[in-house]
Amino acid sequence: MSSANTKQSLVELHHIGKAFGGVQAVDDVSLNLYAGEVVALLGHNGAGKSTLMKMLAGAYPIDSGEVIISGQKAHIRTPVDAQHCGIESIYQTLALADNLDAVANLFLGRELLTRWNTLDDRRMDAQARKVFTRLNKNFKNVRTPVRRLSGGQRQVVAISRAIYFNAKILIMDEPTAALGPEETAMVGNLVRQLKAEGVGIFLITHDMPDVFGLSDRLAVMKNGKLVGTYRTSDVTEDEVLGMIIAGKQPEGKAQTHSL
Amino acid sequence: MNPVLNALRQAAIDWRLVMMGTVLAVIAVVFNVLSGGLFLSAENLYNIAQQTAVVGVVATIVVLVIVARHIDLSVGSVMGFVGVLIATLMYTAGWHWVPAALAGLAVAIAVSLYQGALTAMLGVPSFVVTLGGLMSFRGAAFLVADGKTQPVNDAFFQRLGGGYDGAIGVTPSWLLAGLMVLALVAQTWARRRANSAYELPNNPPWLDALIVLLPVGLLLAFVAAMNSYQIPSKDAPQGIPVPVLIWAGVALVLSFIVHRTRFGRYVFAMGGNPEAAALVGIPVRRVTLMLFALMGVLITIAAIVSIARLNAGTNSLGTSMELYVIAAAVIGGTALAGGSGSISGSVLGALIMQSIDSGMLLLDVSIGMRYVIIGQVLIVAVVFDVIYRRVTGDTV
Repeated sequence: MSSANTKQSLVELHHIGKAFGGVQAVDDVSLNLYAGEVVALLGHNGAGKSTLMKMLAGAYPIDSGEVIISGQKAHIRTPVDAQHCGIESIYQTLALADNLDAVANLFLGRELLTRWNTLDDRRMDAQARKVFTRLNKNFKNVRTPVRRLSGGQRQVVAISRAIYFNAKILIMDEPTAALGPEETAMVGNLVRQLKAEGVGIFLITHDMPDVFGLSDRLAVMKNGKLVGTYRTSDVTEDEVLGMIIAGKQPEGKAQTHSL
Repeated sequence: MNPVLNALRQAAIDWRLVMMGTVLAVIAVVFNVLSGGLFLSAENLYNIAQQTAVVGVVATIVVLVIVARHIDLSVGSVMGFVGVLIATLMYTAGWHWVPAALAGLAVAIAVSLYQGALTAMLGVPSFVVTLGGLMSFRGAAFLVADGKTQPVNDAFFQRLGGGYDGAIGVTPSWLLAGLMVLALVAQTWARRRANSAYELPNNPPWLDALIVLLPVGLLLAFVAAMNSYQIPSKDAPQGIPVPVLIWAGVALVLSFIVHRTRFGRYVFAMGGNPEAAALVGIPVRRVTLMLFALMGVLITIAAIVSIARLNAGTNSLGTSMELYVIAAAVIGGTALAGGSGSISGSVLGALIMQSIDSGMLLLDVSIGMRYVIIGQVLIVAVVFDVIYRRVTGDTV
């Protein structure tokens, strides 16, 4: 992709910082993402990758640095701000209200209303069924509380949010951590499909096959700092592990901030 | 699979509610036999319905507070405070009951918002905030009228509490019942049509008929009982008591809020997973504040009904009501861990408690024994709740 250097980034994170009490959770991290690209975000637990992504999603306020979306400075202070920027998140903890059904969860915070401002349950139900069956044809029990659903079905609900609301930027925080092999393959196919549609995806994962199978670039964090950003095809699994564990940049490999 | 069983499984039937209704029916029959037919007499049913109303009104909103993972221990004290205030404004200050009630409403909302703000904005546990409120507002109830009882004399106002003239008579009762039946049938009809329009599955007709006919039968039986109770010195039967009407209105409005508005859905989402609620952008603080404000409104309604019923505001009004209200919510299937509960459950819960209490009264059970038994009933309800959730796999 020779035109990549001139292409505009979908997301640019500039010198982002975040401290919890005395702990610098994210320290001066800069990272970008292009449309139709998957960037894997790697690091130990506590390396700061989830915190960084939660700031982009509006769940935590940003202490310092700036976010630029499609060339414009974005002010993301709440999850609603992030949603307005086209950012959707799929969290490790799934962020579902267990006591509500799949339909209610899909539309949670963005319910469809009738003209009397009451919940339009039937319209939501019908639309939700369409999205769910697109991801999983056997998903019929959309009216039972999601705590009774399988891990895969719960993940379908979480992912459906991103699809239904036309995410431009998708943050996936360990989307396959609780899934079986078939469901993992489903998530993989979905990532490829969304990527083909031009969605930019940040993929937080510990799973090396996911990293090498799905991502275009990878960024490694350690102790809140960015170790480096590389083209996935340029590095080996050992080199990636070296970065994660020791924070050691591989010798002779060029960092890249473009495709 | 058997088509009948299958239809029952697919239908969104609240089996807990069905079970609780059965429990209430069994209690009624057992007490009726033990009391030689006194329990199910029109007079006793009339009294039970009327006596349960105040606790029932407050229990509906306490269900939502508990669902949202909060608690309100101050309801009895705040109701006492507001009740004495309204009575004082009417008796000592000579106000008409309408401005007095509105002033009470303003104070109740202010009190609730104060407690709600401490909880929602500063994150002080509502248990602590309202435990303080439990003591403070009981004191405030004393301070308002310096501990003196404030009689309530307005004839219209007294009817709000039920009593001698506090029922709506035979014809209006039947009319109202007829309207309710029509509304129920129309609602089911509209649901079936809308489901078909969106190509969503419908219950089989016989099941929907059953779901409509059961409450219709209960409603008609209730109205018939109310309409057959005549106070000996009067020349016409009573009909539905006003407090029961108010309670029913409150329960309907709150059910509507729960099922049909964003606010109701957010309360349940916050209770199910507070973290998720915040992550999807639900304004958690604002919803919490609105919940407490609503609490203020309902406490005022309960306060008006109880001072009208007692014909006076006293500083002990609503003492230990918080326990009855929370017990009614819990017996009605509200999980103290939050996230689940229903308004109709609280109605049944309040009725179950009041039925047991008043049944024991009919059987001349001593006051000490009654407390012992009511307390154990609450524990039985929670034990049942724990087992039910374990069996059905609902861990929340």
